Amino acid sequence: MLELKNIKLSYGSTQVLNGVDLSVKRGDVVSIIGPSGTGKTTLLKCINSLARPSSGTIAFDDVRMDYQKLDRTAIQAIRLRTAMVFQQFNVFKNMTVLQNVMDPLVVVQRKSKEEARRIALEELDRVGLSNKIDSYPSQLSGGQLQRTGIARALAVKPDVMLFDEPTSSLDPELVGEVLKVIRDVTSSGITSLLVTHEMQFARNISNRIVFMDRGVVAADGSPAEIFEASSNPRLTQFLTTEHSIQ
Amino acid sequence: MDLSIMIPELLSALPLTLAITFTAMIAGFLLALVTTTFRVRRIPVVSQFADFYVSYARSVPVVLQLFVAFYGLPLVVALLDVEDFVSPNVAAMVGLSLYHGGYLSEVLRPAYLAVERGQHDAADSLGYSFLQKLVRVVGPQAVHIALPGYGNAIIYLIHNVALVMYIGAADVMATAHLVMERDYNQYQFETYLVLAVIYSLLCLVAWSIVRFFEKRNARFAPNTARAKATVMPSV
Repeated sequence: MLELKNIKLSYGSTQVLNGVDLSVKRGDVVSIIGPSGTGKTTLLKCINSLARPSSGTIAFDDVRMDYQKLDRTAIQAIRLRTAMVFQQFNVFKNMTVLQNVMDPLVVVQRKSKEEARRIALEELDRVGLSNKIDSYPSQLSGGQLQRTGIARALAVKPDVMLFDEPTSSLDPELVGEVLKVIRDVTSSGITSLLVTHEMQFARNISNRIVFMDRGVVAADGSPAEIFEASSNPRLTQFLTTEHSIQ
Repeated sequence: MDLSIMIPELLSALPLTLAITFTAMIAGFLLALVTTTFRVRRIPVVSQFADFYVSYARSVPVVLQLFVAFYGLPLVVALLDVEDFVSPNVAAMVGLSLYHGGYLSEVLRPAYLAVERGQHDAADSLGYSFLQKLVRVVGPQAVHIALPGYGNAIIYLIHNVALVMYIGAADVMATAHLVMERDYNQYQFETYLVLAVIYSLLCLVAWSIVRFFEKRNARFAPNTARAKATVMPSV
């Protein structure tokens, strides 16, 4: 369904992605783990062209793109089929919760306001925010903001959900409510890519774990293979460090 | 001195002052929008031209900009081979529109850049076009950030309209001078005082409108300090 090949990207003289290959099948829930600065978020952003690789190709079903050529039609086609949940929530500050979820449906998908409202209310109910629809982002907690972000992403009915460290900016006591929503989403069968440092959570919800290190995919396998039977010394070191922290 | 005669005489020129102000406000705003778009999108050549224009509008004294418009416009008109329509009033409107547009662009550009990167990313990732993103997401947030600066820009514009008398436009200031000279300059202080009240009232109205919008938008920007309303704007 989604295939990235030989993705390379650098920020100035820092090489962030060093030739990443990744393929995702429909229905996969893939967690991307790894040390900070190894390009996990950047890789996710490459999928919807929020970051622009210097080389590499992406194939999303029938849409194919070579990153060396700027193909706006392909970029837009991929953006319309993916939806991203951000680490910093990035909920539109000038709109209420309901408007945040409705707006992409009306503006981008050209749905009628009535239909957009119906879908938005449905998704907001799903993430447990029915009582906050008229609140502005400034009136919400971090967990509520992230759930708004998730509802906005779900409402566009994407083929793939991209979660970029969705709980990293939250107070520990708010993490649970967001993880619960993400678990509900991923268990509904929607293809998902999740960049996370929540190891136990990744293990529980994913059918595949990708370990990134120094800009490449260093290990790739089922949760059992990655967490219990890996022979990669960098992965073992990383998991030991993460475990001791948690 | 009879105030009941002097004040209506001064106010008779107010429509022209207001016409010049509103024309420069609207044309300048549109000009600032276009210029700012060019500047933030970094389109080669066009962006540099926009930068140059803003630099001109901000660095050349306004009275000099009015002279440039007054003496330069007829030359431009002659080049276009159309009948010369450049009166002092038209030159004043064009000159101040150019000044205000350039000045305002330097208010709008930082405001646009102050909108968090994440807001752009979210809109882009959802498939918004640049224009949709500007109108729906970034624009309203940038406008809120720009409002205090915009208020100042309007107040400076009102002040600078008083300079149009130097190119012969008969605004309130020019009329005041006529009135004073007719009275053998006996009542200069009183006339200037009335003039000061008129300009203060104009600024107060402009400031109140901007404040209204600032307050209206405050609901989505709680982190900005809420200034206590004072009777007069500090300009």
